[in-house]
Amino acid sequence: MSIRHTTVCAIIALALGCAVAQAASAGEIKIGMVTPITGPAAESGKYAQIGAKLAIDEINAAGGVNGNTLTLVVEDDQTTNPGAVAAFSRLASQSDISAFLGSIRSTQVDAMSPDITKLGKPVFIGGTAPQLTHQGNQWLFRCRPNDSYSARVIADFGVDTLGLKKWAIVHSTDAFGTGGMTALTAALKSHGLEPTLVQGYPNQSPDFSAVVLAVKSSGADVIGSYFTFENDLGIFAKQLKQFGVQAKWVGSPSISTSTALKLAGPTLNGTYGIADFAADSSPEAKAFAAKYEAVAHASADNFSSWTFDAVHIAAKAMTDAKSTEPAKVREAILAIKGYKGVEGTYTFDQNGDGLHGYNIVKNDGGKIVFDKHVDYAD
Amino acid sequence: MAIFLQLLFTGIGIGAVYSLVALGFVLIYRATNVVNFAQGEFAMLGAYAMVVLTQDLGLPYWAAIPISLAVMGLIGALFNLGVYYPLRHRSFLPVVISTIGASILLTNSVLVGYGPAPESLAGMFDFPGIQIGEVFLDSQYLLIIVVTILLVAFQYFFFEHTLLGKKMQATSQDKEMASLLGIPVARMIMLTFIYSAILGGLAGILVAPILFVSVGLGSQVALKAFAASIIGGFGDVTGAIVGGLSLGVIETFGAAYISVPYKDAFAFLVLFGFLLIRPQGIFGEKVAQKA
Repeated sequence: MSIRHTTVCAIIALALGCAVAQAASAGEIKIGMVTPITGPAAESGKYAQIGAKLAIDEINAAGGVNGNTLTLVVEDDQTTNPGAVAAFSRLASQSDISAFLGSIRSTQVDAMSPDITKLGKPVFIGGTAPQLTHQGNQWLFRCRPNDSYSARVIADFGVDTLGLKKWAIVHSTDAFGTGGMTALTAALKSHGLEPTLVQGYPNQSPDFSAVVLAVKSSGADVIGSYFTFENDLGIFAKQLKQFGVQAKWVGSPSISTSTALKLAGPTLNGTYGIADFAADSSPEAKAFAAKYEAVAHASADNFSSWTFDAVHIAAKAMTDAKSTEPAKVREAILAIKGYKGVEGTYTFDQNGDGLHGYNIVKNDGGKIVFDKHVDYAD
Repeated sequence: MAIFLQLLFTGIGIGAVYSLVALGFVLIYRATNVVNFAQGEFAMLGAYAMVVLTQDLGLPYWAAIPISLAVMGLIGALFNLGVYYPLRHRSFLPVVISTIGASILLTNSVLVGYGPAPESLAGMFDFPGIQIGEVFLDSQYLLIIVVTILLVAFQYFFFEHTLLGKKMQATSQDKEMASLLGIPVARMIMLTFIYSAILGGLAGILVAPILFVSVGLGSQVALKAFAASIIGGFGDVTGAIVGGLSLGVIETFGAAYISVPYKDAFAFLVLFGFLLIRPQGIFGEKVAQKA
């Protein structure tokens, strides 16, 4: 009898203790983050964390969300799909997390997607494969423009602005490159154009002479490219110059990254690229770039800009909804129109896509210069 | 015609790279009867050594090369002691697995230290290359071809005309017999590992300006080099060179005239062909496999 009594007391005491602990954290809203801390993408995971933390500090300094402070809970995805799924489930089991930052990699978002549906809380993502937000998962919100826009921007810019009609498409044969090639071919078709050359290459090729000579003999005056890895892009760029190809070049985002500039150097001068983050594209972007550089001692790029925007949008939605209840937050996110983030202006559509355009940048003597921002209404 | 010559030149250039790495495979195989699957990582380490010396420590290029090669020699010695020597009395398989493990360890150690972003390394010459009519000869590829020729000549002279070379050759052919004749077998194997690591490192330093320096550098070249050494005849020095060059030329022409996406497949189609029709390769083995 007395033993049972003690047990009951202990349980009550424990429950009380829990209640006290919960009450202590009541003024806090948690955001979970799945990001690579180990594995090949660890470097970019670091940038993503800095971006998210900058946003959190800004929000807390301005009084937090509905009077609560925002905190970040980070889990490592190990740069793998199983790692991402495990990291997300560790976060999902913490019931006091109100919103999540998912991955910048489409394949990882795909892997986490079923668990996200099951949990039913808003998850912000940076993966750009169009289908991610088109498969009926209503809890995914994308803070980068998806790839269906990148091909349209490349084609529109090349045809309308540069006035070039003879296209050679050079693309990696992986999922990203092939998807881009298909989209770019379709975008050119809407201009009534058929590419003169469509040339795929396998990733990590030591030599691009066959590709470059094919471009040369096709007589194309503009190259549209989807390169996955900067080292492939670097070898291609160098051989393009060596074999005297004069065509203009409008590339997918990898053409203007700092790694590409480091590897390819002056062989990329005069090329155009599309970029979801460009420091000179808006006052917001400029301010973020300055802030980021002061903390990270590196130039800001899309790894940090999307997490920065995602945290701000999560906070804005929770403030607008005056609640952290998932359904209300979701409504508030979808109601966001014309929010000026650092990647661009967010207007969420019913699929959960926030951005609908890209920046065009030019490589001017080794410096990436903002050219213009293109947004689509549809 | 210009396109044909251009492709031939780049094919030979990239083939020479395969040859250099294949030579390292062959040397270790001859000395130990074991395939060293970390041979590609020697190339990767050599290239990173140059990056560290020239970019992080600011040494002049030409001074950095001998230091890098010395570091590679040291790595080769440690590799022998840590990866091969403890398993030397075991069969083929444990040693091969041990070299694969070493390869994974080396790649990931560099990944931890340097991260996944590729580094660039300047070429050895300031001028980019020579333009002859429509054909452009890249200076770095020219250098690679010249170095390969010199190394082949050196290797031939060393193994056929010096006592040390002959001792190493005897070791590779029959270790027991060699030790009965008073040849210090362990020391000969040690020398082979040191030389192979230097050779691999040199290949890495030579291709770095073309392929850039990343942790994937080794595996990018090593698999093709391995195929090249089988085509040439595993264990044969001339075979490694001929196999590497022909593989480079075949895949470059295959890519240009048949299909770029299937470029990597051509190398392995040739390999399959050889394994089916002439498994001993073009030049065969000097000593038949002992039963």
